[in-house]
Amino acid sequence: MFTRRHFFKSAGAAAVSAAAVSRVGAASLPEAVVQTDARTQPPPAPGNGRHFNPVVTLNGWSLPWRMNRGVKEFHLVAEPVVRELAPGMKANLWGYNGQSPGPTIEVVEGDRVRIFVTNRLPEHTSIHWHGQRLPNGMDGIMGLTQPGIPPGKTFVYEFEAKRPGTFMYHPHADEMVQMAMGMMGFWVTHPKDHRFMQVDRDFVFLLSGYDIEPGTATPKVNTMLDFNLWTFNSRVFPGIDSMNVRQGDKVRVRVGNLTMTNHPIHLHGHEFTVTGTDGGWTPPASRWPEVTTDIAVGQMRAVEFIADAPGDWAFHCHKSHHTMNAMGHAVPTMIGVDHAGVAEKINKLVPDYMVMGDKGGSMDGMEMPLPPNTLPMMTGDGPYGSVEMGGMFTVLKVRKEQKRGDYTDPGWYRHPAGTVAYEWTGELAEPTRSSSAGGKLMPLKQGADLNLNVRKPSGHTGHN
Amino acid sequence: MRTIHWRAPAAACAVVLLAGCSTFSPDGGLDAVSSMTGARIGQPVSFKRDDAALRAAADAVLKQPLSVQGAVQVALAHNSGLKAALAELGISEADLVQAGRLRNPGFSFSRSRAGDEREIERALSVDLIGLITMPIRQRIEQRRFERAQVTAARSAVRLAHDTQKAYFEALAANERARYMEQASQATEASAELARRMARAGNWSALDQAREQAFHAETLDGLDQARLGAVAARETLAQLLGVTAGEGGFVLPERLPALPDTLRPLQNVEQEALASRLDIQAAKADTAETARALGLTRATRLVNVLEAGYINTSTSGEPRKNGYEVSLELPLFDWGGANTHRAEARYMQSLHLAADTALRARSEVRLSHAAYLGAYARARRYRDEIVPLRRQVSNEVLLRYNGMLASVFELLVDAREQIASVQASIDAQRDFWIAETALQAAIHGSGSKE
Ligand SMILES: [Cu+2]
Repeated sequence: MFTRRHFFKSAGAAAVSAAAVSRVGAASLPEAVVQTDARTQPPPAPGNGRHFNPVVTLNGWSLPWRMNRGVKEFHLVAEPVVRELAPGMKANLWGYNGQSPGPTIEVVEGDRVRIFVTNRLPEHTSIHWHGQRLPNGMDGIMGLTQPGIPPGKTFVYEFEAKRPGTFMYHPHADEMVQMAMGMMGFWVTHPKDHRFMQVDRDFVFLLSGYDIEPGTATPKVNTMLDFNLWTFNSRVFPGIDSMNVRQGDKVRVRVGNLTMTNHPIHLHGHEFTVTGTDGGWTPPASRWPEVTTDIAVGQMRAVEFIADAPGDWAFHCHKSHHTMNAMGHAVPTMIGVDHAGVAEKINKLVPDYMVMGDKGGSMDGMEMPLPPNTLPMMTGDGPYGSVEMGGMFTVLKVRKEQKRGDYTDPGWYRHPAGTVAYEWTGELAEPTRSSSAGGKLMPLKQGADLNLNVRKPSGHTGHN
Repeated sequence: MRTIHWRAPAAACAVVLLAGCSTFSPDGGLDAVSSMTGARIGQPVSFKRDDAALRAAADAVLKQPLSVQGAVQVALAHNSGLKAALAELGISEADLVQAGRLRNPGFSFSRSRAGDEREIERALSVDLIGLITMPIRQRIEQRRFERAQVTAARSAVRLAHDTQKAYFEALAANERARYMEQASQATEASAELARRMARAGNWSALDQAREQAFHAETLDGLDQARLGAVAARETLAQLLGVTAGEGGFVLPERLPALPDTLRPLQNVEQEALASRLDIQAAKADTAETARALGLTRATRLVNVLEAGYINTSTSGEPRKNGYEVSLELPLFDWGGANTHRAEARYMQSLHLAADTALRARSEVRLSHAAYLGAYARARRYRDEIVPLRRQVSNEVLLRYNGMLASVFELLVDAREQIASVQASIDAQRDFWIAETALQAAIHGSGSKE
């Protein structure tokens, strides 16, 4: 048994540092390639096997394979990893081959696929190939279709990639813990005919949620719904790479949801259609235009659109709590609360105290020390200041001059003159207000005076 | 009948000489008290009949924030209870002097007539028994005088310890009240904030009422703490013998810092055996009983033994102290029983002395253990708990900065931090009180005095 590291460079701005480690005893095993970089790795063209148009895994990479007598062999190593969720925060996760999520597996319809799975976790695991048609004994359900893979052991899964489409893989053993720890990966089965539904850019990512207490690095695996970090491929904004495309490109984005809630994924500036689901490609006649598609728990969606509108377009989950990072869920609302006098009193007790939240949640301009390994709640600077976003948020950058196959970040969009919202400096007319709130249907008994801020609770008469 | 008593001139002369020997000492026995007290209190003490200088020095001390030594100095100069104890010494000395003097010879003349008969009676009386028992009485009075000195010294040492204890209590009570004030500021801030949040429509009457109830409770705690500070100050003032009011005395802000080193057990045990006044008294008692035993053996007919032991006390009445020396005529008893009794008394005194020493050592060990324990506790608060509490506060602030915690959590934490500082102050105070108790066990007559 030996360990060997080698580095190779690939096209694109980001140098891929992939370390190959450990032949795990037997010379017959393919190398388990390890990725140490959390940046998006632009796809190399498939070197052998049948041709396909590779996908781009957002802040991820695709797993190399080897051909062995006509069988595509992959080697996944389930192991603890340290994943950078965004610059300034790292998480102790479990993943595959050095990262969480694990590498994307790309095969072609009809490929015979053999996947070696080595378990380097402290407990048993298994892999379920979510959405695949395969022999029942290859489905990866511990206890039902196979025994668990014990720590230190390697199991082999082998089946034919029958149906083209969008898939995922994840453990089906101690599932709640292992998925809460980040064990998952993307799988794409490309159609036999690479011109079928061909697009210019094909982005893929998984949705996952973590509950990592501020000042810590390991997710709380017993959290059920109250996660505080919502991720694309185990990254949070501003750590999520932008999707950089050429104007006029046909773009596909494939999203798989392995969280415990649904995510309405929303794109600005374009309409898209859902062209693929868990069950395969949608018939063109059934598609309708949308700007938001809800991706339910355990589902996958492929959306397609023509990126015809140049600019920097927001792309995010529309649940606003999913576009911010860890925040105090029990923090009371301070909006409109007068702090005069009280702040000074508190300052005597807590010298570094600053009033926050009395004008809203915005923290712009405030740079304050946080617990270690903790990201600010809403952050990320754009050309006009703070974007005040976190979590499931990224930007689709559409540029005329972006070259085909070039995935590098073109920088901020330069708006043509007169196309940016601007301040109005003219007169402001007084708006006309209704004086008959409630109307005739349910007239208010107390009248329309609902000025809460003026009425004070007094004595036993209660409050309004 | 005619009775004329005459005395030999030589005897009369001897009487005059003896009487001339007994006079008052220039210091009234106070110097011995001073030196006994000074060695035990740890600062020079000077008791004088005219204590104007003493009082002046103490008054100078009162002008500055009081140190613990300063407090003891003031108490020794001003405390009326101690002065009463010192006055007792004067009474004892008077008794001693009195014992060295014979009653004046008396002369009486009477003339009576019964019918025709006249009788003129002239008598010159001399206190013969007094003369014979004078050396014995003098020795007994001397011993009583010495005891009075020890008693006075014990009062002074006890006063010093009581003052120290009250001093630490008063300082801690002050600090406690001051910190409670901070806690009440924290609850006042949250109560006020809660009120404004309810007014802005952000908080329910329930949450607001909770915060305000908490504030009211804290205010109650503050009142208690303030009252405690007043009570502790008054107690100290009583011991100091000055007023607790304006111009009485000024206390420093903080308790003294903990010492770096502690007194080892072996030293304090030995020191206690050498220095404890009850042990010394027991030893002196034994020596005195031994002397009495010798005397009884020698004279047999002089019942000296009763002397030291007429020391009765009835509840509610002042302790009776005295002696009785009686001369017996050796008609029926040649003093054998007296000797036996004297021997038994001697043995009793020996056992009592041994018991006193045993108790003293035990008390010192116990006080020393308490002193070590109090020190460890105060150190833990100072070096671990309070710094950790501070760290917790810093961490809560970091969470507040990230909008991960609310301002109320900051304020709750501020209260908790204040509570731990208070507990730390109490631990520090307890150490100094334990230290005082240890001193009392070493130098006084036990930790419970
Ligand atoms: Cu979402």
